[in-house]
Amino acid sequence: MKKPDRLLFSAKRGVVRIVPLILFGLAWHVVCSAGLVNRDFLPAPAAVAAALADLFKGGEIARNLTITLFRATVGLVLGAICGIWIGVMMARSRRFREYVTPIVGGTYSLPKSALIPLFALWFGIGNITSIAAVFLACLLPMIVNTYHGVVTTPKVLVWSAEALGTGERELWPRIFIRNALPDIFTGLRIALGFSFVLAISAEMIASTNGIGKLIFMYGENGTYDYMFAAIVCIVIVAFFADRVLILLTRRLLVWHESAVAELDARRP
Amino acid sequence: MNPLEARTDALAWRSAVSILLFIALWEVAARVHVAPAILLPPFSIVAEQLWRSILDGTLAADLSLSLARAICGLVLATAGGVILGLLMARNRMVDWLVDPLVALGFPAPKIAFIPIFILWFGIESLSKILLVMFACIFPVIIGTYSAARAVSRQFIWSALSLGSSRSSVFLHVILPACYPRIFTTFRIAVPVGLITTFTAEMVAGGGGMGATLIYSQRFFESPTVFAYIVVMLAIGLMFDAAMRRFQSRFLRWAES
Amino acid sequence: MLDLARPKIEIRGVSKTYASEHGPVLALRGTDLTVNEGEFVSIVGPSGCGKSTLLYVVGGFLAADGDVVIDGTPIKGPGTDRGVVFQEYALFPWLTVRDNIGYGLERQGMAAAEREKIVGRLVKVIGLAGFENRYPRELSGGMKQRVAIARTLACDPAILLLDEPFGALDAQTREIMQDELLRIWLETRKTVLMVTHDVTEAVYLSNRICVMSARPGQIIEEFSVTLDRGRSREELVVSEQFNSIRNRVWLSVRRQALVAGGRNEEA
Repeated sequence: MKKPDRLLFSAKRGVVRIVPLILFGLAWHVVCSAGLVNRDFLPAPAAVAAALADLFKGGEIARNLTITLFRATVGLVLGAICGIWIGVMMARSRRFREYVTPIVGGTYSLPKSALIPLFALWFGIGNITSIAAVFLACLLPMIVNTYHGVVTTPKVLVWSAEALGTGERELWPRIFIRNALPDIFTGLRIALGFSFVLAISAEMIASTNGIGKLIFMYGENGTYDYMFAAIVCIVIVAFFADRVLILLTRRLLVWHESAVAELDARRP
Repeated sequence: MNPLEARTDALAWRSAVSILLFIALWEVAARVHVAPAILLPPFSIVAEQLWRSILDGTLAADLSLSLARAICGLVLATAGGVILGLLMARNRMVDWLVDPLVALGFPAPKIAFIPIFILWFGIESLSKILLVMFACIFPVIIGTYSAARAVSRQFIWSALSLGSSRSSVFLHVILPACYPRIFTTFRIAVPVGLITTFTAEMVAGGGGMGATLIYSQRFFESPTVFAYIVVMLAIGLMFDAAMRRFQSRFLRWAES
Repeated sequence: MLDLARPKIEIRGVSKTYASEHGPVLALRGTDLTVNEGEFVSIVGPSGCGKSTLLYVVGGFLAADGDVVIDGTPIKGPGTDRGVVFQEYALFPWLTVRDNIGYGLERQGMAAAEREKIVGRLVKVIGLAGFENRYPRELSGGMKQRVAIARTLACDPAILLLDEPFGALDAQTREIMQDELLRIWLETRKTVLMVTHDVTEAVYLSNRICVMSARPGQIIEEFSVTLDRGRSREELVVSEQFNSIRNRVWLSVRRQALVAGGRNEEA
């Protein structure tokens, strides 16, 4: 498809996909104006939009969003780096794997947000608690996916590389890790989701700032239109973060046949 | 004993050893005061607290409340998710209507909606159950949808040529073919359900493991904090083991 | 100058046991085989007889009991002296056609300009000019296999190990690829050891065919094939000479397949 045709096609598809959301918004508006629901429980879309605009003007959203995103990102990056390293080590060394697997398996079952009170106990209320929670939550999917990606490298690829003169050390960066990249990016997408969830959880439970705290605070104060506004904001940010990651992955993994299909999990 | 069984046994042994080692280290580190007792109570004290909670029934009450909420939410999420996923796979109109909502909802941090659910449904169990359903329904929808779409045409044609009616094909071919994928997404949803329940309880209170956990933290009762975390860990492990059992019993036929 | 005094490949008493969930499985039992320089030897036999396993042992990918000696030296693992082509193509999916073919050369430290020359020539030889920047996922099965062969040839190995190289291709593509391979071999006269389940293919390409018994595998029969490969495929395949050899080989394999099948039924 030619470039301009493709853009038009995507634009059309984008518009078509938004229509149900617009319908949903209209339904929301109708429900509110018709007074079907108590105004307190469900602010009208107009009110929420106004609140959102106000928050942007006042800078509260920007400030708190930055804090939340900072915590989520730092935790995610640290978690990803450590997770990939551990996953590779587990694939590389049987001994390492045997010692680490029980720990990994164990923490899989532990709801990481349960550790937030513990971290609050240890590190107080602030960045470290949030980052630690995000870090731990992101660690697991990265470890598991990296390991899976390395371990499912087809034997014939490894053998071909060896027959073409690849030394044992070089197999790792050249073959195993390259083969694992699609899985690593799948893990990254999962970890991205977790990073938002845990950052916000930590803020709601044990913090004095951040968007989670903001939402919670507005709820307590009863200013529900601001509360809804903040929630809408974070949902949109999370959505776009996810999209950006998908686009990035498609770019980097241009060679992978199902990279597109896997990540856009909706399409079979 | 065949080699596979022998290996699983060895792994179990090694895990047991790791755990015992971990506990021993914990006890020693705490007794030696590597950190103040408030931050790191010895394992023995934590175990004692745990035992006390079991005896006076608080643990049982909290645990059953949390689990009940999580399970109800999960059941609703699975039922709703499977139905929606199948509907979307079969009907283009439904697909078109619901797809953007799913696409928007899937990456969204559902936790952020806790205050809305509290607003609408109070701080007791109802809000938690519905929040769990909200949090867990998206992966189930997506998983069911793609499983239903992916059912090979050859399966369906074979069934039709063997004399099945269309609805029978749906019930006896498409649906069972989706079971493994649905179960896999259910397995993913379970920890999400548990996390959401505990987190909602930590944020909003209203009884349950999470509420007690956060109260203990606020009052610096660290043995309880540790004890409850250990219990949550154990519950998570049990659920996972149970599901793995189930999967190997009833879904052996599907290629993992 | 062919050195007929010492064989190129000597396989002596190679045995290989696998672990499986039902206990140890003996895949090869005391297999012996020699391949002389410049020969094209095919190994045929019933499914599961271990012919691929033998090839992997020769390639140095699997450890086994017994000796594999190449040019008088026992092998110690995989090496660039033995190029491999697998049935599943085994192209590196993250590299373009050009980078796949040039992979071995890059490993050797060859400069980019020189690499380009060799890669460019090979791309033309396999008839994929214009596809240098494509990724494997954009290629058809036949194209992928050509790239795989080119990749192996780029390093100019003395020995080619082929594991059912055309097994994944459709019948027409298979015939085209066989002719390609034959042409390349006639030009370069490399030593080739090929595993195939297709008896006709073996007769068409090789000058010696070894029949392997049912598992545990051993070479139980050898056929020498002398055909005038200057003739076209059409002439060759319908000729009496071709078919008499083919029938004899086929019968031998068939007998082994029945043994294997009978054993399966008993078990």
